[in-house]
Amino acid sequence: MFRSPVRPLLTGLICCVAALTLAARASTGPGPASWVDDLAPITKTDWGYDRAAHLIERAGFGATPDEIDRLAALTPEQAVAQLVNYDSIDNSALKPFDESGIWDRGMDPFPPSRAEAVRLAREKGEGLGEKMLPPGSPRRLQPIVDKFFYGLYANQIETQRLGLWWANRMMATRRPLEEKLTLFWHGHFATGENKVRDYRMMLQQNLMLRANASGRLPDLLIGILKDPAMLVYLDNGENVKSHPNENFGRELLELFSMGVGNYSEHDVREAARAFTGWTNDVLTYKFDATQHDSGEKTFLGRTGAFNGDDIIRIILEQPVTGEFVAAKLYRYFVREDISSSVKSDLGRQFRESGYRIKPLMTRILLSKDFYSPASYATQIKSPAHLVVSTYRKMGLREVPTVPDFGRMTGGLGQSLFDPPNVAGWAGGRTWITPATLLQRGNMFRDVLFPDVKNFRPPDRAMSATDQRVGERLAMGMNITEATREGDAESNKMVDRDEDYNTRYGGWAGYQLAFKRTKLIPRQPISIDLMAMVQTAKADTPDKIVDHFVRRFMRVSLADKDRQVLVDFLKNKRVDEGSLRELLYLVLSTPEYQLG
Amino acid sequence: MAKCSCSRRDFLVRGMYGIGVGGMLPTILSRTSAALSAQALQGTSIEKHPNRILVVVELSGGNDGLNTVVPFGDAAYYRARPKLGITERDVIKVADGYGFHPSMVGFERLYKDGRLAVVHGCGYDHPSLSHFSSMGFWHTGVPNGGEPLGWLGRLADARYPAAAKNVIVNLGNSQSLAVRSRQHSPLVFDDPGRFRRDGTEEEKHALGMLSAPRTTSNSTLEFLASTAKNATESSDFVRRASSSYRTPVDYGQGGGLAGNLQRVAALIAAEMPARLYYVTYAGNSFDTHVQQADLHTRLLMYTADAVRGFMEDVARIGRGDDVAVMIFTEFGRRVEENGSLGTDHGTATPMFLVGKGVKGGFYGQHPSLTDLDDGNMKMTTDFRRVYASGIQEWLGYDQTQAVLKGTFAPLGVFA
Repeated sequence: MFRSPVRPLLTGLICCVAALTLAARASTGPGPASWVDDLAPITKTDWGYDRAAHLIERAGFGATPDEIDRLAALTPEQAVAQLVNYDSIDNSALKPFDESGIWDRGMDPFPPSRAEAVRLAREKGEGLGEKMLPPGSPRRLQPIVDKFFYGLYANQIETQRLGLWWANRMMATRRPLEEKLTLFWHGHFATGENKVRDYRMMLQQNLMLRANASGRLPDLLIGILKDPAMLVYLDNGENVKSHPNENFGRELLELFSMGVGNYSEHDVREAARAFTGWTNDVLTYKFDATQHDSGEKTFLGRTGAFNGDDIIRIILEQPVTGEFVAAKLYRYFVREDISSSVKSDLGRQFRESGYRIKPLMTRILLSKDFYSPASYATQIKSPAHLVVSTYRKMGLREVPTVPDFGRMTGGLGQSLFDPPNVAGWAGGRTWITPATLLQRGNMFRDVLFPDVKNFRPPDRAMSATDQRVGERLAMGMNITEATREGDAESNKMVDRDEDYNTRYGGWAGYQLAFKRTKLIPRQPISIDLMAMVQTAKADTPDKIVDHFVRRFMRVSLADKDRQVLVDFLKNKRVDEGSLRELLYLVLSTPEYQLG
Repeated sequence: MAKCSCSRRDFLVRGMYGIGVGGMLPTILSRTSAALSAQALQGTSIEKHPNRILVVVELSGGNDGLNTVVPFGDAAYYRARPKLGITERDVIKVADGYGFHPSMVGFERLYKDGRLAVVHGCGYDHPSLSHFSSMGFWHTGVPNGGEPLGWLGRLADARYPAAAKNVIVNLGNSQSLAVRSRQHSPLVFDDPGRFRRDGTEEEKHALGMLSAPRTTSNSTLEFLASTAKNATESSDFVRRASSSYRTPVDYGQGGGLAGNLQRVAALIAAEMPARLYYVTYAGNSFDTHVQQADLHTRLLMYTADAVRGFMEDVARIGRGDDVAVMIFTEFGRRVEENGSLGTDHGTATPMFLVGKGVKGGFYGQHPSLTDLDDGNMKMTTDFRRVYASGIQEWLGYDQTQAVLKGTFAPLGVFA
């Protein structure tokens, strides 16, 4: 039975609300079908709550009804300008990343593999800041192997912390488009910690992308091609005069600037030659002239003794570059399918403006096309967006940490600082599988009904095998016994016991990493849904459902689905628990996946 | 694991009505009526091999075929690979002039048992050296064609009625283009333990209603709703099958492939009606531009261990005769090693077919290591001929031309 939590009915408000509803009707939901592919700006009469909500959903991470009301009270030009020209907005309340300090002297440059760490240590008698054990001792290289795994795991944990730091920026920033664009560039110039293995480089890249997020494409291209994380990720340190490595040149052309089909294999190889010698000294870009091929190259029909900067300049002269990058921004902010006319129009504008991102974003976000039925609420939210925007719509100030943010988005296919490969996240329908769709709802149940008792923090978790090693050691087994696993070839290799034991190293590496990385503070959600519905004057199941739908969803529910929710609540006493159950249902609908 | 007294054929037919109810139906279908139902469902032809399963394994990143199946008899190989070449002494020699990388003990065993076929020099005309383009071509089976559906998706569309549930299972975090189908909704999941809808019975009941298929002008919403329905129907089965599965077989260390193949074995053991499984060694792992030797050793070892373990496991559960594995990668690597002790993107590369039904041995011609196209080998076998072998010789479907959009002669790999 329903018992109203809110007694007084403010009858006076009713006529007010009715009047507002009437005024807003003209600009409710998406615009007319004729707006599809129309890049002309919308006008004041086209503006209203729904469209302001659409704007902040795409150009940011969603907002509370109050924030949307404020945006809707502006003209569309003002609203878009406020989002795009964010540089003057004070954001100093945001804290920089709080580093644990995991790096020791001797750990730079971090070797690419355990085998390489061991090889170097054999040569020098020490490695990663650790000395080999004296001759005659068992497993003389064990300290180096332990340290190698420490470096690996400590960086992984630090990267988890970095991801949470970024998510909290997305939550608290006063410049939502800045973070949304930074996330776009992270996917565009995809770089992953799993290969870079240095959170400092990942942080540095993130800061570079943010600083240039709405600036000019040339600065971003130069920035990323001189960025240590990217240089490592694409192996450009190995791109040398005698043996050019094509990876860097290929990804630059294919993924960062022009797109496949607009250059030849020959161009790839010539670009690779021009970027020889572009490398890094740990955290700084370095040009190694001795490894640079200063010979003549022919690239995209031009001939000269080109270096990397020349290659970038020539790429930016190609009309296809403007189209490729503008189309990718369009796909991210507007919709998957872009018409050829919109593509060439936006591409031309972008190139002719000197590749300035702000005017391009302004045009896109003000266009009728952006508010047309083809664009409005048709995008599948990325996992990071889904989680952050839900918290924002709940009115939270900070990301709850039980359940774990990184594990939530990672389980759905998006780990910040670890895109699946250099092409970034494919997005759209690829986010959705039968399993991830269920998980998208389940995780919010874990948020609303946090299981603190059984929560296992991922920043203090190790693999099952490593855990077994620890348990066996605690039982008094020796290292050889404790690390034995199975009879497959690969198992025999890892527990082989010569100068060191790899499996033991894994366990020991975790122990040290746990000791030296700051613990992520664990805080379940703090939310009061009873207060939320009371403030909204929602005092019946119908009104509560309508409030949740308005607050959280960008697509309205069919009447029969709305009724399912109303009936669900009608059978219960309205309290915090039943409201959370109701909210779980809302957040689990197919409709909620759309933004 | 739940015991089932019914025949596999019954189960297949029941499976077509959805595994959600299949497990609860009494065994009422005799062999004959089941066969008739199968016939009715499929129109004209009774399936020749209704028990057979094809498992496709993708090695993503471009596996270095020359260091996988080593042409140790060819001096040009050692000239091109002064540092990375596998010395003749180390090669696991299995044929005249060819052998496996020393870490591939698992493949050696399969080969000696006559259960492993190697197809030399697979590729396609006008090869792309881009991971994404080339992988897309292998996924669709239509190089340079802009085909929107995957070859396994099209096979399912042509071969299995639209009403059949869960014909394709794709283990992974995202759906592969290879399984994208017009009529079928591939079952994609990563961790079977988490493949479930949480909540009270009341919540789940409400969500069942909220996830009903709908017709709207928003096609993305339709897609979401139909995926939700499929998820709800299949997840219980998958989770139960996987959580109860125990095997004494050692699949090795893994790299994700071992775990995924073990999950496939669990589903096969639980009589999942799927006919096509798609499994990935993910994350561009095989993209060995730099310091390749140790990494590649590990990758090949994991792969060989996992496939060998999987074959042993399906034999153990009595399905050894019904399962074949096809292994591919989007391209091989440049003949000449690069300056970083690695190899760059290349072209032709071997494919592997594994199973009791396979006539073990080598097929096709190894491409020349001296007559190159801009440093890359010229392919000798169109990869779609291997697909055709899988479709026609193994799964017994003769209309390969319609599925592969062209005529590709099977290789005679399956007995």
